[in-house]
Amino acid sequence: MSLAIKFRCPACGADASAATTPELLRQAAEKGAARVAARCPRGHAVLLTVDQYGHIRSAIQVQEAARPDCEITDKAPLAARQRLQAILEKGTAADADALLLEKAKAAGWVICI
Amino acid sequence: MASGGYICFMRRFLIGWYAEQCVEQVKYVLDNWGLRKIVPHFLKSVGGLSALRLFTKWEDYYLYVLVDSMLQCMECEKPPTSFARAALDLARRRRVLDGCRLKAVQRPKKPYPQILESYFNLVEDVLISRACDLAAKPLEDVIPDEEAAALYQLFVSSEWYSAGRVAVHVGVGTPRRGRVLLIGAGTQEPLDFIKACQVLNVRCDFAALEVDERIYRDLEKLAAKHGFTAYLGWDSIRETFSVAVATNVLNWATDPSDAIAKARRLARELLVTQGVVEGMGTVFLLTIALRAQRSVSWREVEGLAEQAGWRLEKRYAKYPVYIAVFR
Repeated sequence: MSLAIKFRCPACGADASAATTPELLRQAAEKGAARVAARCPRGHAVLLTVDQYGHIRSAIQVQEAARPDCEITDKAPLAARQRLQAILEKGTAADADALLLEKAKAAGWVICI
Repeated sequence: MASGGYICFMRRFLIGWYAEQCVEQVKYVLDNWGLRKIVPHFLKSVGGLSALRLFTKWEDYYLYVLVDSMLQCMECEKPPTSFARAALDLARRRRVLDGCRLKAVQRPKKPYPQILESYFNLVEDVLISRACDLAAKPLEDVIPDEEAAALYQLFVSSEWYSAGRVAVHVGVGTPRRGRVLLIGAGTQEPLDFIKACQVLNVRCDFAALEVDERIYRDLEKLAAKHGFTAYLGWDSIRETFSVAVATNVLNWATDPSDAIAKARRLARELLVTQGVVEGMGTVFLLTIALRAQRSVSWREVEGLAEQAGWRLEKRYAKYPVYIAVFR
């Protein structure tokens, strides 16, 4: 069973909705909040933070991985997303970036096909 | 009459308060005067010494938020995990906690320097959002080893951390001092040291020591690619050095006095750059969550070095980052 929650896209202001599950709400009840990824009708990717009642605490626009074979997962902390995104878009020119991508894959932050 | 007394009291109170603030500010500038000399550009980029003081205020604020959240899920008298104990100890050292009484720390009005945004985001993601879990569960269950390794790499290779390290090596002129040993180098310090050599336009002559076998595997690959020597463990070193460099390793080392003593046998000089508890708080908990061992004060760092037979040659800064050269 899923419950639709409504939100306004932080990028374009369009009204949109996302699906929550009992599992997600249970997770939010345990940890205080849970995150769910959604997409607005105009295609912007949005990361929603919801509480145990399904109320939206925050809606942040996120960039999607440009490399089609790799995806940043929900496990990746917000602090890492922007940098991982840049690495996936531009490649691992720097050693530090290559190491980060390798560790991120091992941690399940990034999945590559 | 009463109001006259009140005004007089308030005037005295305000003069006293401003005088105290002024003394504190002058002391801060004097204690860290050397930073202006060795890392002027880095200091300017973060917003000067006042920005470092602001950083300390934000550190205390986040420490307060974290401990407050953790205390919702545990008893102060009986912290159930080693991380919880470390958090309470640190809060007491930073005077955020008095016994078990939490002192409210106001959110600083000024925003933290832009360059530190990724760091404080990391604090929120890793510590604040998992406060209850960190208070109640073993660290490995909250942050598994693979995630800790990824967070470590994210942390040490962040722009501000890396820029600070390069700036210190350039300012102190470490690459010009002869063959260098980077103690507990990890995967980022060699790369930053190479960058410092490029900035100074000198040949890079250094070796990197790592005691953690997993990190060493990555270090070994970097060494092969960039042409420096990598050592696994102190016993594998068969040479001596002009300078040994310990950058933020004393909080990670299982036995910091042993590391400093071993460096004494292998090098003529020691450069220590260490974040210290007098100016930091949350950063220690972040590193402890990533498997570091403890927090340290600048007096402890100097005590350890002197105990190992090192003599202080020049101290550049005391806090939030202690920077000194020993002989």
